[in-house]
Amino acid sequence: MSDAQRPIDDSVPSEQPSTGGADEDDSGNDEFEPVQVFPEAEEMDLRPGADNCYKCSTCDTNCPVAEVDDEFPGPKFQGPEQWRLKRQDDHDIDESVMKCSNCMRCDSACPSSVPLSQMHNTARAEYVEENMSKFSREYLRNRMLANYRRLAPLASMFPRTANFVMGLSVTKWLGEKTLGITSERDLPTFATETFREWWTDRGGAKVQNENKRIAYFHGCYSNYNTPEVAKALVRVYEHFGYEVMVPEQSCSGTPMFANGMLEDARRAAETNVRELAAAIEDGADVIASCSSCSMSIRQEYPELFDFEDTETVAANTWDAVEYLRVHEDLTGALENTTVDDEFDDMAYHAPCHSRNQGLDGQTIEVMDAIDGIDAHDVGDSCSGISGTYGWKEENYETSMKIGEEMFEHMDEAEAETGLTECPTCSMQMEHGTGYEIKHTLEVLEAALVSDGGGSHAETGASSSLGEAEGEGKSTETGTESD
Amino acid sequence: MAHNTAVLVLGGGSTGCGIARDLAMRGVDVTLVERGNLTDGTTGRMHGLLHSGGRYAVSDQASATECIEENEILRDIASHCVEETGGLFVQRPEDSDEYLQKKLEGCRDCGIPATVLSGREAREVEPYLAKDVSRAIQVPDGAVDPFRLCVANALDAERHGARVETHAEVIDLLREGDDIYGVEVRHDSGPGKRTHKSPGTTEEITAEYVVNATGAWAGQIGAMADLDVAVRPSKGVMTIMNVRQVDTVINRCRPKGDADIIVPHETTAILGTTDEEVADPDDYPEEQWEVDMMIDTLSELVPIIEEARTIRSFWGVRPLYEPPGTGTQDPTDITRDFFLLDHDERDGVSGMSSIVGGKFTTYRAMAEEITDHVCEKLGVSATCATAEEPLPGSEDISVLEEGMDNFGLRSPVARRSNQRLGSRAADVLETDEPNPVVCQCEGVTRAEVQDAIGQSGSDLNAVRIRTRASMGNCQGGFCCQNMATELHPRYDEETVREALDELFQERWKGERHALWGEQLSQAMLNYALHATTMNRDNDPASGATQIDYAQFDGGA
Ligand SMILES: Cc1cc2nc3c(=O)[nH]c(=O)nc-3n(C[C@H](O)[C@H](O)[C@H](O)COP(=O)(O)OP(=O)(O)OC[C@H]3O[C@@H](n4cnc5c(N)ncnc54)[C@H](O)[C@@H]3O)c2cc1C
Ligand code: SF4
Ligand code: SF4
Repeated sequence: MSDAQRPIDDSVPSEQPSTGGADEDDSGNDEFEPVQVFPEAEEMDLRPGADNCYKCSTCDTNCPVAEVDDEFPGPKFQGPEQWRLKRQDDHDIDESVMKCSNCMRCDSACPSSVPLSQMHNTARAEYVEENMSKFSREYLRNRMLANYRRLAPLASMFPRTANFVMGLSVTKWLGEKTLGITSERDLPTFATETFREWWTDRGGAKVQNENKRIAYFHGCYSNYNTPEVAKALVRVYEHFGYEVMVPEQSCSGTPMFANGMLEDARRAAETNVRELAAAIEDGADVIASCSSCSMSIRQEYPELFDFEDTETVAANTWDAVEYLRVHEDLTGALENTTVDDEFDDMAYHAPCHSRNQGLDGQTIEVMDAIDGIDAHDVGDSCSGISGTYGWKEENYETSMKIGEEMFEHMDEAEAETGLTECPTCSMQMEHGTGYEIKHTLEVLEAALVSDGGGSHAETGASSSLGEAEGEGKSTETGTESD
Repeated sequence: MAHNTAVLVLGGGSTGCGIARDLAMRGVDVTLVERGNLTDGTTGRMHGLLHSGGRYAVSDQASATECIEENEILRDIASHCVEETGGLFVQRPEDSDEYLQKKLEGCRDCGIPATVLSGREAREVEPYLAKDVSRAIQVPDGAVDPFRLCVANALDAERHGARVETHAEVIDLLREGDDIYGVEVRHDSGPGKRTHKSPGTTEEITAEYVVNATGAWAGQIGAMADLDVAVRPSKGVMTIMNVRQVDTVINRCRPKGDADIIVPHETTAILGTTDEEVADPDDYPEEQWEVDMMIDTLSELVPIIEEARTIRSFWGVRPLYEPPGTGTQDPTDITRDFFLLDHDERDGVSGMSSIVGGKFTTYRAMAEEITDHVCEKLGVSATCATAEEPLPGSEDISVLEEGMDNFGLRSPVARRSNQRLGSRAADVLETDEPNPVVCQCEGVTRAEVQDAIGQSGSDLNAVRIRTRASMGNCQGGFCCQNMATELHPRYDEETVREALDELFQERWKGERHALWGEQLSQAMLNYALHATTMNRDNDPASGATQIDYAQFDGGA
């Protein structure tokens, strides 16, 4: 029996007639209204975003992958064109989306606010969901790279063994053959003590200040691999009188977005938003030392997820240096400071994700304030590694080709040390030049905190200084957070 | 007297092409003449709705029944031109419940499958529907590409031996006493496929029988033989959105009114329409307020339309007709049924019938009835097979579903190309030549453009309607010149330039009604791009005077 043959009254849902009573009806509906629930990111309809594109191709000319790889169709196709050609129930996404490194340069280049990276992220997730075999080597490898955080704790339990095993060429060869992880790169070494272990041992914050609080989002890399960066952040912020909180946290999600693992990213983001929102509630601002982590929380979370407080967390998250420049007289504090020889000449690379946040100029300005440091900007090219991208066997060559310009500029600059804020950029810089690479916070620590070792006495001293300063500024910060 | 052809069909819209195909399939020798491109009349300027009949289920049940029958046939024989979108009649709080009930009963009476959805269910189907839409009736409306369907009919007619002449305007009816025996046409560029710049000619084509299927222009043709065919042309506006806000046809569930329907069409969604009588189907005002009204009124149903980008607007004229003496005042009340006027019975002039009225969805049934009539006159006994025989491109629909071949193209491009070409996809897209995308907005490749040029000569608007190239958001800014270069070396430089100008002009015409926001930026960018890369703001090479190239230095 067709629907048309059913008695009419039966087939009319019992919803109230619209005349009168509409109000109660609507409010009753609201709770269960399925379309008011934010759709899964993979199912978002981003076709309206294509309205902004007038096809100028600026995004294409700024894409580092398109520049070196003729097979990659570029962001304009990947984003607005592909979306516009889509129908509600089409689910095939072109595989080239996996070649995009998620550097987000297209995003900041577009003069017309096309949500390019949001389009790439959802397309990539849909591709992985619908088109990639869950048993393929590629999928397993990507899942593993994306979930670095899950593997890292194992390695750091036995860091020396892990470093030794991972460094063996047999292991690396196996990595390439079985997982497609390039054997050209040295896997990152694990610290013998993670940042969080150090933090606990140290007894947590040395400064208490309810008017100046930050919640530190350290991310995975500075916890497991470069705790010196995380420690530097703590000491620098304590120097300025901040109370540092280190909330529970998961991976920022950056590697998961880049690998189309949106479900994994969603789980991680949910924890982060919840924990960071609680810290904000306690009066803290969120500070990240890794440019991809801050990027992710500020831009990608609100574009892709809709947890309660996503927007609040995004709006209250800052890059570590940016925050000090806005809330403290950072250059003033740096005047007349000096640093050891290890920092005198440095080749600075601004990570793409800093660029996208408009932060690509700040480091050189800050460095210039320190006596004896000559920091050279090596230009606006992309380092080419883009997180897990350059680790994949099939991307290694592209990644090195993209990095070539940066390597050359580093070579030409009068410096033997590299400087950046992104952990994977720093791996690429080291891999391409052999230089030692530092994080900006490490330099600030050396300049501001006289004994970088952070002995108890020193930290105590700087914190009391900080506290004095802090009181002077507390009202200002107080009004800020209102 | 020996005739050039048995039947001469005037007008290359859906009606004319449908009749030509039907006659040719019945073995009748037929010639079709059209003054412009195929679909240049109303057929190329309609809304693209494949009626389920739902729109007529209350007011005109005979039409509604015919619509659902033909709707089902076209899904079968023209699957590559039809998208089975489904349709909704949505009710807003201020719309009457009584009418919704009537609509539902009407659908049931006419055999149109109809289900009522709650507002929430309707929003699950179409997430951008307004929050206060209270209920909806779901019906099997569809979207149809009139260009492709019309061209497929003409192509099949030719395969069955018909002669199809485009750019051949009827300038006179040949009448001797009380008999019409043919027409005089003016070929814009000589007979056959169009080539710009070839000199125009005139030709007398004689026929045993003439079928006047010139729609809104039927009165003008009739007048050439002093016959009075009182067509009442009525204009309607349609506004094209840049992207699809909806993938289902959205109708407003209320008696009648302007701006009450949104039809998803290929990559776009089309808003419509109005109904206003005009004096001359070739010359009527196109006004911005009509466009504004579409957007304002329809955003009550789909609010994001308010802020969304439109890429162009266009107007079409309905070939409405009513028998002398009916005297309906409001054009919206004139019947949508069609009329077959046998001038022998009506005016005592033999040799010709005129067809007026009707709608696109029922073109095949109309064509069948007229062909029956003509066959009776000619004493042909073959019967109609157009309801069973698929059109070229729809012979084997499995290519669209399982195991779609991508011919080395990226997925959305492959999918759209396959959908446009249907079962012709392999013939067209399998090529050893490089096959780059020529039109990026619509994902049209060089092979498809070449195939269209092969069908229609140097006319790039004919290529456009076959492929959709230049119909996307840049409105030709980035692809017209690429399409034009595909004409070379088959055609010389002068022809290529002329064809390019003509196409770009046509694109610009519709874009004039969308010049704000993003489309204004697009137009500015197109202008700058064409000026700086092709001198098209003021190209000395297209001027009358010879350029003295020797005056230029070597650039050193
Ligand atoms: C705004 C609007 C929206 C519509 N929407 C829909 C819809 O969604 N669904 C639907 O089913 N129907 C719709 N219709 C109706 C439908 O478009 C028409 O009924 C149908 O296209 C008419 O086709 P036709 O072949 O009779 O006329 P036409 O397509 O007008 O064909 C007549 C042809 O004759 C040619 N001609 C004129 N003069 C001469 C001459 N002297 N010599 C040679 N050739 C000549 C013209 O160039 C033209 O190509 C709509 C109509 C309008 C106006
Ligand atoms: S830069 Fe922005 S507007 Fe230009 S082509 Fe790319 S997406 Fe479109
Ligand atoms: S994110 Fe980077 S790699 Fe990906 S398309 Fe944009 S610019 Fe290219």
